[in-house]
Amino acid sequence: MTQELASEGTRVLPAAATSLAPLDDGGPLTDDEALDWVATLRVPGPERDRALAMLHALMERAARHQVRRMRHLLRPADLATVEELTTAAADGALAALLGKLDTFEGRSRFTTWAYKFAILEAATEVRRRSWSGREVSLDGDERLTDPGPGPEQLVLAHDLADAVRLALDEALTDHQRRVAVALLVEQVPIDVLADRLGTTRGALYKTLHDARRRIRAHLTAAGYLFPTSRTGAR
Amino acid sequence: MTHDSPRLTEQTARLLALRTDPWLSCEDCFDRMDTFAEALLTRPGADDLAMRVHVAGCPACAEELESLVELVARENGLDAAPALRRLHEPVG
Repeated sequence: MTQELASEGTRVLPAAATSLAPLDDGGPLTDDEALDWVATLRVPGPERDRALAMLHALMERAARHQVRRMRHLLRPADLATVEELTTAAADGALAALLGKLDTFEGRSRFTTWAYKFAILEAATEVRRRSWSGREVSLDGDERLTDPGPGPEQLVLAHDLADAVRLALDEALTDHQRRVAVALLVEQVPIDVLADRLGTTRGALYKTLHDARRRIRAHLTAAGYLFPTSRTGAR
Repeated sequence: MTHDSPRLTEQTARLLALRTDPWLSCEDCFDRMDTFAEALLTRPGADDLAMRVHVAGCPACAEELESLVELVARENGLDAAPALRRLHEPVG
């Protein structure tokens, strides 16, 4: 293992910004100090309290980063609550992380592993805020709008679009069609759709995956896709 | 719906017909996100086809992985651009 982490002397806990040097040996990244994070967080006491405070600061940093990336989705009224949103996301992420602390295997640096909880929490919350009060229609096929005249090279693509529309109608179940249209045509965020339908992001993605398989089989049978093709139209 | 109904856009049609095999769930993607983000940033030859396929078909996971790559890159003085380019290379 040639990975070099910039350490900061004898710190018990790592700073957030220790450096990752490029690797060329193909081995996993390790973070010796990650063991200190996990061990410290497991044992009640002042050190754990200090670690929790540091970890919450890391969560806030990552949540703020995510909210800033997605702030264009927020309405003006929500922009005034960005800090509140960031703190709430950090709180939620910290709770989620602590619930999964035993699953940390050290395959990445602890801070990278921790950041993803805050990013997920913040992104989900921004999507929810941006769609709060907006209706999610689940008619399934009434939002398939005409894109209008396109470049000449889209003639074949229009043939594909027609074929996909036919596949939506003929190859999918009502539920698959509603989910596929809501997610990909209406562009309802998957977290928002999961909330409205009382299901999970994972379950919706599986429904979409199955729908895509059926669409592709339909297109292949109709001659629009080669059986071995991954994405392209003929 | 009949064949005379309004058309989908080309982009949306391709997203609907996207091949998302090998299968990876959003939960699996989340589990592997940190490891893959670091690999993209630090190992030029690193790849995870299932992750790239999933990200191509799941805009939410794509946003979150891109964000993680950017954050880790920024905090470690690395350039995120090459990693993001490799993340979105065509999956073939």
